[in-house]
Order: sequence, then structure tokens, then C-alpha cells
Amino acid sequence: MGLLPNLNLFGPASEADKRATEVRSGAVAPSRAERARCWEARDAYFACLDASGIVDAVKDDKKAAAACGAESGRFEKDCAAQWVTYFKKWRVQDIQKKARLKELEAQGASKMDVQSDFAARK
Amino acid sequence: MPQPTTAARAVFNALPRVAPRQCAQQCPRLMSTTRSAPTKRPTAPNPARFQSQPYPPLVQRRFKFNTVEEAKSRYRSGPFSWKAGLLFIVTGAGLVWYFENEKDRMQRKRIADANKGVGRPKVGGPFELIDQDGNKVTDQDLKGRYSLVYFGFTHCPDICPEELDKMARMFDLVEQQRPGVMTPLFVTCDPARDGPKEMKDYLAEFHPKFIGLTGTYEQIKAMCKAYRVYFSTPSEVKPGQDYLVDHSIYFYLMDPEGDFVEALGRQHSPDQAAKVILDHMKEWRGPLKKS
Repeated sequence: MGLLPNLNLFGPASEADKRATEVRSGAVAPSRAERARCWEARDAYFACLDASGIVDAVKDDKKAAAACGAESGRFEKDCAAQWVTYFKKWRVQDIQKKARLKELEAQGASKMDVQSDFAARK
Repeated sequence: MPQPTTAARAVFNALPRVAPRQCAQQCPRLMSTTRSAPTKRPTAPNPARFQSQPYPPLVQRRFKFNTVEEAKSRYRSGPFSWKAGLLFIVTGAGLVWYFENEKDRMQRKRIADANKGVGRPKVGGPFELIDQDGNKVTDQDLKGRYSLVYFGFTHCPDICPEELDKMARMFDLVEQQRPGVMTPLFVTCDPARDGPKEMKDYLAEFHPKFIGLTGTYEQIKAMCKAYRVYFSTPSEVKPGQDYLVDHSIYFYLMDPEGDFVEALGRQHSPDQAAKVILDHMKEWRGPLKKS
């Protein structure tokens, strides 16, 4: 496939295409490289949603499609369909959680050492 | 002879000046109305009690030496001799050694008691599962070494792969210091999709020494229950349909006897977690296998 030259690692284009379909449908578990690609697409999509001020991409799907169509396409192509829904829902919860934390901090609550983002700890 | 009531009043008036102990003796009398005898002032002790007792005759030996030579020798050397000195040093050293030894022993015992027995959550227990090569693995195979147990599934979107990468770093850090004393285990919560082959492919990308455990749904359910791991596979999944599994995310550190030591969570960095593990290993006094 012309769109995905790097997928040729897995052999002929059709083979890679088959694998990508399997990953999307959840028939196989993604490899490390496939996961990394998915997370990258996710981060790009979320950055676009942030820029457009969209919180819930499931509820505001038309608005999200209009603002971040290209990113959404890549996100859905590189990630399993289940993961796409999961990440979209996770984002809503994470935004709510962060807002709530900010609210609590403004009220003078003390912060605990808890990690909620995706970044790995060094 | 005064009337009892007037006598009582007289004592009552004198009350602020009497000592509390005297009051304790006299107050019941104050309350008493039946007693007709007048209150007596405390009498002086019987002078007979001060008369000295006759002591038994004091027998005193002035010298405990039998001969004059003995007494002279003792006079020259004084109360110290090399024998006494040696006895003093040996006794002193013995006591120091004993107390130091006893202090260390009590310290170890306290740590061991804190890690076992009452008040510790009962996590872990017997299990029988298969590894990624299809070999049977039971809790008995893990005895003699520490084990680090993590639950997850291969289709996990974000947390498990990150935590497994963390576990790999943690494991490498522990291996550097104490090679071969810890077994890293990954147990699937999704036995329907994660067979030995899937586990093998998945874990190969994390660490060559990771052992992946899978089994039947019932076996996995029992394992998760024993480790107090919550997991839920969505109901009504059609064959071939994708789904995610919700599960608890902790690393369980188990000691060489298979008892739970500590749960390590997302808040621990690999370095912090490795330090916690190594500290527990230092405290372990039981037998330990090494590969």
C-alpha cells in the first residue's frame, strides 16, 4: 500500500494489509511497533481535539470529524477499533479528572504522588 | 466528758489544720452518730518500741589467710592478679558478643513477624497453569525464589505494555544486584484469547526471561481470586469480536515461601520498585535458590 511504506517490514504489501486489518479487528494483539504507531496516532488526534476544544469525541463525533478528519482517519487505521473507543472515553475521563484535581487544589487539597497520564516513568 | 456532738464539732473546726491522712482516720468517726466514745487525740507510740533489739554476737574474722606467706603475697599484688584480669576480659567480651548477637536476632525476628502472620493480607496460594512453552507451572515451582507477579492481557491498550516495560527495567535492576533470585511472571486475565503462543509472541518483546502463565478460564479465575485481582471480561462476546478486559494493575512481590510481601503500583518508578524489592531480599534469612 502506498500509504504505508513502513509496513513492508512484514513482507508483501498484501500481507501487511492483512495484518493491519487483523490488528484493527482485534483478531491479533498488536506488536510493540504497532502499539507505538497507534499511540502516536492517538496523541496526534488528541492534540487536534485539544486545539479544537473538543472534549468528547464520541458525543461530538460530527464536530470532531470536521475538525480532525485526517487525524481521526490515521487513528482508526493504526489502532484496534476497541482501542479507539477506549482511548476516546479515557480522554473524557482524564479531562474530567484533571479539572476535578485542579478544583480540589484550588480548595487547598494536598497532592498525592499518583500518575494518571500515559508517559512512562524514568 | 463532752457530748459527742460538741466533740464532733470541735474536730470539725480543727479539720482544715489536720493532715489528710489523719482525716482519713478520723472522718468515719465524724460521720458516725452511734459512737458515743469521745474522739481521742493520737497517742504517742509506745516508748517500748524504741528499745534496741539485742543483736546476735558479731563474729568477725580479720584475715582469711591461713599462713603468713599467703597474706604477704596478697599484700604485694593487691586485689588484682592476671587471673582476675583475664576473667574480667573474657567475661566482658562474652557479654558484648551475646548482647550484640541477641540484638541482631531480635531485629530479624521483628522484620519476619511484621511480614508474616497476623495482620498481613492473605494474597497468593496454590495454582496450576501453563507457561508460554506449554509446560505446567505450579506454585511449588516458584518456591525458593522471590517472584514478581503481574496480571494483564495481550490486547491491553496502554497500561499493561507500559507496566511490563517497567517490570522489565525493574527486573534488570534486581538481576544486576541479586542474579537469579527472582522469577518475573505475567498472568493473563484473558485466557480465551491468550494461549501459550500468543503469550510467547507478546512477552518476547518485553523480556526474554518473563514467564507468561495461562490456563483455562476456571484456572485463571481461581488464580485471580487467590491474588485478589479484580478482572471482568465483558459478557456476551461473540466469537471473533474484539473486547477489552478490565483488571487490577499491581505488581505482587511474593517471598520464597510463596507469601505475599508487598504490592508495587503505578506510583513506583522502576528504580524505586527495585530498591523496595532488594531491601526485602536483604531481610530474607530463609533458604534461597539461585539459578
